[in-house]
Amino acid sequence: MPAYYLEAFTVTLGIFLLIAEAFVPGKQKSWVGLIAVVGLLGVLGMTIWAIGPDKSLEAKAWTKFALWDLYKFDATARFYKILALVAAIFVLILAIDYRSILARYTGESNDESGTGEYYSLIVIATAAMMWMASAKNLSMLFVSLELLTVTFYILVAFMKRNVGSLEAGVKYLILGALSTGFLVYGMAWIYGATGSLSLDAITLAANTTAPTTPLLFGIALMIIALGFKVGAAPMHFWIPDVYQGAPTPTTAFLSVGSKGAGFMALMTVMAPFSATPYAEKLFGVLSILACITLVVGNFGAIPQNNFKRLLAYSSIANAGFLLLAVAANRDGSTSLSSPQLVGFYLASYLLMTMAAFFILSILRVQCGSDNIDALDGLSKRNPILAVAVTIIMASLAGVPLTVGFVGKFFVFRAAMEAGMVVPVVIAAITAAAGFYYYFKILRAVWWNTPNHKEAIPLDGSSLFTFALTFLTIAILVFGVWPQPLMNLIK
Amino acid sequence: MFTLANLPTAGLSQYLLVAGLLFAIGLTGVVLRRNIIIVFMCLELMLSAANLTLIAFSRFNLDAKGLPDVHGQMLVFFVITVAAAEVAVGLAIIVALYRSRQTIYTDELTTLKG
Repeated sequence: MPAYYLEAFTVTLGIFLLIAEAFVPGKQKSWVGLIAVVGLLGVLGMTIWAIGPDKSLEAKAWTKFALWDLYKFDATARFYKILALVAAIFVLILAIDYRSILARYTGESNDESGTGEYYSLIVIATAAMMWMASAKNLSMLFVSLELLTVTFYILVAFMKRNVGSLEAGVKYLILGALSTGFLVYGMAWIYGATGSLSLDAITLAANTTAPTTPLLFGIALMIIALGFKVGAAPMHFWIPDVYQGAPTPTTAFLSVGSKGAGFMALMTVMAPFSATPYAEKLFGVLSILACITLVVGNFGAIPQNNFKRLLAYSSIANAGFLLLAVAANRDGSTSLSSPQLVGFYLASYLLMTMAAFFILSILRVQCGSDNIDALDGLSKRNPILAVAVTIIMASLAGVPLTVGFVGKFFVFRAAMEAGMVVPVVIAAITAAAGFYYYFKILRAVWWNTPNHKEAIPLDGSSLFTFALTFLTIAILVFGVWPQPLMNLIK
Repeated sequence: MFTLANLPTAGLSQYLLVAGLLFAIGLTGVVLRRNIIIVFMCLELMLSAANLTLIAFSRFNLDAKGLPDVHGQMLVFFVITVAAAEVAVGLAIIVALYRSRQTIYTDELTTLKG
């Protein structure tokens, strides 16, 4: 099956859901989310049979399509597509459970009639991320990145009767459009300097000619633009506000999906220059960004009392680690290459961050609060959930035997192999600071006395409970035995 | 004599200069202005600057037959389409914000704090 069927199916599913939601009578809308989950699971299954054009398939007509000038399919692209689909499935499960809050701020009288589009938008954003994983031309990259961004404007501002959501939407809109401006202007200069938008041609031009000022100007603009998308300091200032204001499923998708897509785009753009004589200086810029991001993210998180804002700063800190992996610029001859490393880290980040947002969603739905003190005394109110929170926070902090540790360890090793001593020292110090704020949550869970007398029962739908259990177990399993995840990337 | 026929034509650097100015004006507006509608117009200005740069590079990068490179022009059409989509969504969000807050000034958006 040609690989582009995957995106075709996904976007068809999104449009089908949009239409079905409008024409099927009734106030209940959770079925839209369930169909989306089943449909995306189907697409996830189809990734096994997806193939790109290769020598053995010369006879097939589809291998001759001009589409293949814009679209590539290899193991890395497959991995990122799987990552996007898995993230979207978990976000949909989260959204189904979160729909009472969505309904409160969208419909007239708490009914769910305004929440159906939410699920189809998530599916369409997933298609955009999948396309981006396959981009081998700057125009393809641009269109898929913008499809993702414009969809996210709506997802962030979805709760139209909630001032926080709208403010977050406006902030994301302005900063997103600003980064788009930088992105297109950067593309224009790279196009001018190399004479092509195709990444293959740009690679050729970059390796055969000396760097010119227009080319470097273009690359700088692209790094600024993608720095906004991934939340690298000093372009990170929108992240805490937008994450706090947006509906929790959107925040989860922003922090896993949008960040992953941003890193995909960053690596696609930087790949042509990774083997050039000036690569060291170019990637040195990224390692400086990584250091600033690590410091800002980890130290910014320390004073936070709002769990959602804390996770926002935590996502900035993780962007720092990911940037470090990109900056190491490993070609994969000795261990994992940089794209594989970023893929592994993103997968581990997906598991633990998504689980943390599941916890946040329970808090919001059942305690009506995003603050850390809503977790006070959780060990007495719901011991099983308390253990899950402990595992998730330990993984985010990077305690050994969790997947968070394995990801950080690989990044440190790659950075050491690349001889980046100062960034590694900074990363180690900031990771130690990370322990403080993640353990602040554990202190609330285990030592503080409960404010609320009533326990939070884990009474999310059975699907929700299953998903959270799955994520928590996966954190431990992949922490001890990361090999299956590695095989998927290679 | 100065006629339309022998009017000096602008070269690549003139186009790039104008585009750079447009981009700088747009960026300054986004950073300095507080009215969201004005900010939005400045963002469009930045995209136009990028479009002009693309067109200029496309026009001055001729192939063997002496025709401009079409890839840059193709991207311009995508940029215009995406900008239109962005405006449609963006103005809807701004209208929704105005309904609930009665303001379109960014310095009055202070609900979210940490």
